[in-house]
Amino acid sequence: MDQLKEDLKKHIIEQLNLEDIQVSDIADDTLLFNDEGLGLDSIDALELIVLLEKFYDIQVTKPEEGKEAFMSINTMADYISKRKAQQAV
Amino acid sequence: MIYIGAEEIISPLGDRAEQNFQAMLDNQSGISLVAEAGLNKLPVNLSKIADLDFQNPFESLLEQILISLLKKIDADIIRSDRTILLISSTKGAIENDISDQFGKSVRFLTDRFLLVNQPVVISNACISGVVAINAGANFVRAGLYDHAIVIGCDLISEFVLTGFQSLFAVSEKPCQPFDSERNGITLGEACSAVLVSNSRSVFRDMPLGLLKGTSANDANHISGPSRTGEGLFRTVRKTMQVNGISDQDIDFISAHGTATVYNDEMESIAFDRLNLTHVPLNSLKGYFGHTLGAAGVIETAVSMQMIRNNVLLKSLGFKQKGTSVALNIIEENIPAEVKTILKTASGFGGGNASLIIQKL
Amino acid sequence: MSFITSYCHLTNESCLVNGQHIAGRDSESTDSWLKQLYKKQEIVYPKFYKMDMLSQTGFILTELLKKANPKLANAYQDDEIALLFANRFSSVDSDVRFQRSYQQTSPSPALFVYTLPNIVLGELAIYNKWYGENMFAVLPKFAADFYVSYAEILLSAGSEASLCGWLDIADEQIHAFLFFVEKEGEGLAFNSENLQKLAGTI
Repeated sequence: MDQLKEDLKKHIIEQLNLEDIQVSDIADDTLLFNDEGLGLDSIDALELIVLLEKFYDIQVTKPEEGKEAFMSINTMADYISKRKAQQAV
Repeated sequence: MIYIGAEEIISPLGDRAEQNFQAMLDNQSGISLVAEAGLNKLPVNLSKIADLDFQNPFESLLEQILISLLKKIDADIIRSDRTILLISSTKGAIENDISDQFGKSVRFLTDRFLLVNQPVVISNACISGVVAINAGANFVRAGLYDHAIVIGCDLISEFVLTGFQSLFAVSEKPCQPFDSERNGITLGEACSAVLVSNSRSVFRDMPLGLLKGTSANDANHISGPSRTGEGLFRTVRKTMQVNGISDQDIDFISAHGTATVYNDEMESIAFDRLNLTHVPLNSLKGYFGHTLGAAGVIETAVSMQMIRNNVLLKSLGFKQKGTSVALNIIEENIPAEVKTILKTASGFGGGNASLIIQKL
Repeated sequence: MSFITSYCHLTNESCLVNGQHIAGRDSESTDSWLKQLYKKQEIVYPKFYKMDMLSQTGFILTELLKKANPKLANAYQDDEIALLFANRFSSVDSDVRFQRSYQQTSPSPALFVYTLPNIVLGELAIYNKWYGENMFAVLPKFAADFYVSYAEILLSAGSEASLCGWLDIADEQIHAFLFFVEKEGEGLAFNSENLQKLAGTI
């Protein structure tokens, strides 16, 4: 799970062009879409959907699903694990 | 007085303005389900023109619309040094040549019609058409030209469809502007043109009066509308103020109404701030889909037909109130005296633009 | 009659403000030229990194003009500055990138939103809270007449100043010229001859 979160942070920084941000700058519970957190916006949310497909082979068909799932690294990691478990069945 | 007239339309509903209007009076829509058109080759609802020239569809549409428009005016003005051509488009002939989306078509038109002045392409996202008509009027009002021919044209392309699908902005159903079930746009392609002139006599039929128009930016987000409708509010307020038009003077609003959740909500808020929620309003995108660079021109052209025919066209695709503020959405075609109309547009880049046309 | 009160040029190698060279590209640096300029200005605006070249160019040059002419930042109401921009090839640079994204991997929404040339106007409006008139045109080459005639129209129709730009970005080649036109101020008279002279060989 820790490796998943670490990788997730790396992918996010790269995919979303978050220059000058290091993995260490993103806490597991940082609110990604909060201005005091990472300050991501609606387009970033869509890019996160692309990221999930690209790196984790997970399709998000409704962007509203993303609202809950993408709140923080923790919730994203949980979401990925759940979806992967469903896929394995 | 600046005149506007000779409106022409090429769309899936026909290749003349009157033909389009008749079809719309019959509640026909240009939207249909097109097989394998979308991402992963799934079917998508689109408003596609049948039998487009397959080699150079963009310039062929521009040529065709000009030929139609010229039949409605003193055709000699096209070769005059007092005439300018303005083309409103977002992606031009992108499928022919991504590295030169407008150049070849502009050169083609210049040679074909012996244009004296360099045509100006206006590429301002979805507000381009209204901006182009306003620009034409501004050029003529300033005395730089006597006539401005304004064409709006955009084609459906894999590029654009893929883009909007990546934004999850495309509805799986034909679009439903302002409706409670709306969930996205339907892309459309069209070509439309109008003549703006300081001379009444160049028009074969009666022209209408084009008042001053304006634009304003939301200063909020590059692809999402302002939640308070700030830019739309400002442009309409400016346009009304500069022309001395009050909220009681407007008979009809041709809104932008793309059928995304956010756009239509934003418009309802802006119209509320402007005290315009009582004015009969529609979105024409239920008939043509969202035609991007063509939208401002084709929707103005249809609004002009509404003035000429004294009828308020229903807002196709609307069934039930879907915005937090209720608007006076036209639910059936209604015979009515339409004298003064307001056309608005909003688009990516935070742009908003508006214009007013009056029966003379 | 109005005045060109400040202007700047940007090419792939150098940046000039009011005709003076203020920065040259550091070829040793791993940062892109636009990023070098951004860092040099010491602005903190992380959204800069999401912008495409067209928007980054417009943004940087506007910041340089604001430094050179504080009136651009302070002297006008929020809807008094009109934005009048043009170029030859629209948003081709971003268009090609977006196309590549869906042809090679999967379509990128962050790239798609920059595939319209007027987005740069949106970025300037957002950062500076400018609610005024906007227009983006596509022309076969820099046309001084176009700017002179249309900016004057805007200035007589409610705008009090106009920030004008030629932002030509194609094949990653930058030819950019931004200038600020005011009704009063120190500078060359705003006419085609002077404008063409200042524009130089763009």
